[in-house]
Amino acid sequence: MTLTRTLFISKRIIKQIIKDPRSLVMIFISPVVVMGLIGANFNKNQAALNFIAPALIGTFVLFFTFILTGISFLRERSEGTLDRLLTTPVKRADIMLGYSLSFFLFAVIQSTILLFFSIFVLDITYEGQIWHIFLIVILLTIVAVNLGVLVSTFAKNEFQVIQFIPLLLAPQIFLSGVIQPVGNLPDILQKISNLLPLTYGVKGLRSIMVEGSDISGIIPEISVLIGFTFVFITLATLTLKKI
Amino acid sequence: MKDKSQNIVANIDNISFSYGKKLIFKSFSLIIPKGLSLGILGGNGSGKTTLMKLLANLEKPKSGSIKIFDTKSISKVQSKIGYMPQQNSLYNDLSVFDNVDFFASMYGIHDKKARSKAIHTTLNTVGLWDRKKDPISILSGGMQRRVSLACALVHQPDFILLDEPTVGLDPDVRILFWDYFKKLTNKGTTLFITSHTMDDAMHCDRLIFVKNGHIIAEDTPEKLMSATGNPNATLEDSFIYFNSKGSINDSN
Repeated sequence: MTLTRTLFISKRIIKQIIKDPRSLVMIFISPVVVMGLIGANFNKNQAALNFIAPALIGTFVLFFTFILTGISFLRERSEGTLDRLLTTPVKRADIMLGYSLSFFLFAVIQSTILLFFSIFVLDITYEGQIWHIFLIVILLTIVAVNLGVLVSTFAKNEFQVIQFIPLLLAPQIFLSGVIQPVGNLPDILQKISNLLPLTYGVKGLRSIMVEGSDISGIIPEISVLIGFTFVFITLATLTLKKI
Repeated sequence: MKDKSQNIVANIDNISFSYGKKLIFKSFSLIIPKGLSLGILGGNGSGKTTLMKLLANLEKPKSGSIKIFDTKSISKVQSKIGYMPQQNSLYNDLSVFDNVDFFASMYGIHDKKARSKAIHTTLNTVGLWDRKKDPISILSGGMQRRVSLACALVHQPDFILLDEPTVGLDPDVRILFWDYFKKLTNKGTTLFITSHTMDDAMHCDRLIFVKNGHIIAEDTPEKLMSATGNPNATLEDSFIYFNSKGSINDSN
């Protein structure tokens, strides 16, 4: 693995996204619109807003990174650029890390915009430190990038990538405690919830933002998320054929 | 022995390969000597592109071995290999310059000055320096083909795999390409080229005809034509002649 190649891959992906204004709107504007709509819905219920806003930051990171990686990687596969890339001395780790790094940059900007919007417009309670939030964001980004790469193996076109949303993302939104606490779910769903990365992302973000936890308070969530990243990186890397 | 291996760029030794149940190669061997252009000619599904992919390290033989620059670990010598796939395989939303710049960096030209110089030289070679800022998506098919070639040449590889390099090119650009390929082989670079067109194949120093994953003939274009026994035979006649005869082993 070479850091230089990783950075070049990141730079290329960032350039591609910047050249596509629709992607930029999707990453930065649409989450604010959704957050604004939720704020309008719960404007008389500050407690509910405090509960949902941190969870939505994690959800958006997972959602948009997954879609963008899935589609970008599908294009890499179908347009032959991935094969071409694999005939150069690049390593699989360079590619995965390059993708993660570039999407992390967008995820951080997206999270920061959402955080400021939540604090200053929606007036949510905020206790924690921003870099603790970024720590959760980077882990969720890595999970989402690798999930996107995995899905791109099974999808034949962009439409099929979108079809994975109800299969892979919707259960996470409904079972990871985004809308209501996991404890309110039936036992079987609580068990499934324990297998979903977003559950730990949401728990961690809530712990930082609402309870003001420092790093020691979110060690269990971070540890599990790191475990998920290793599993997903391994699975996704296996789909990149490099002999 | 050492001298002999130095004159061989690739040694494909008794390989077999299949896609699922479809057998592409069985006991296939080929030696690619240094410093010449070796063309591979065959019908659709004869295994040309698969052979390219095996040499480019995108596929692995089920048995047998492939040595490039005297090593079986092709990934260790990838910086010395250039690959131009049949599909253009470019980033359509990026500019000509950005595409070549990206692949130059992937091939290990990390110094910015060296990279800029390499890109300038390569884009001049393919006649696209003036279009360097244009996104790939607005270029004609032939121009995209030229960018694709630039991406394969930018690191000055010693061994270049060209899968249908001249498809979609205007005749004058095609001639320029072949002049340039000649210059490369004169300098010791080895080219392995697949082609459908006999015009292109005529430019190669040596040719192999393949059918159903077997080499049915291998020689210079001139000797392949004269082997038909007809003094007026074209390369196409020669291809049909050998194709009807079957494999080399059969003819023996």
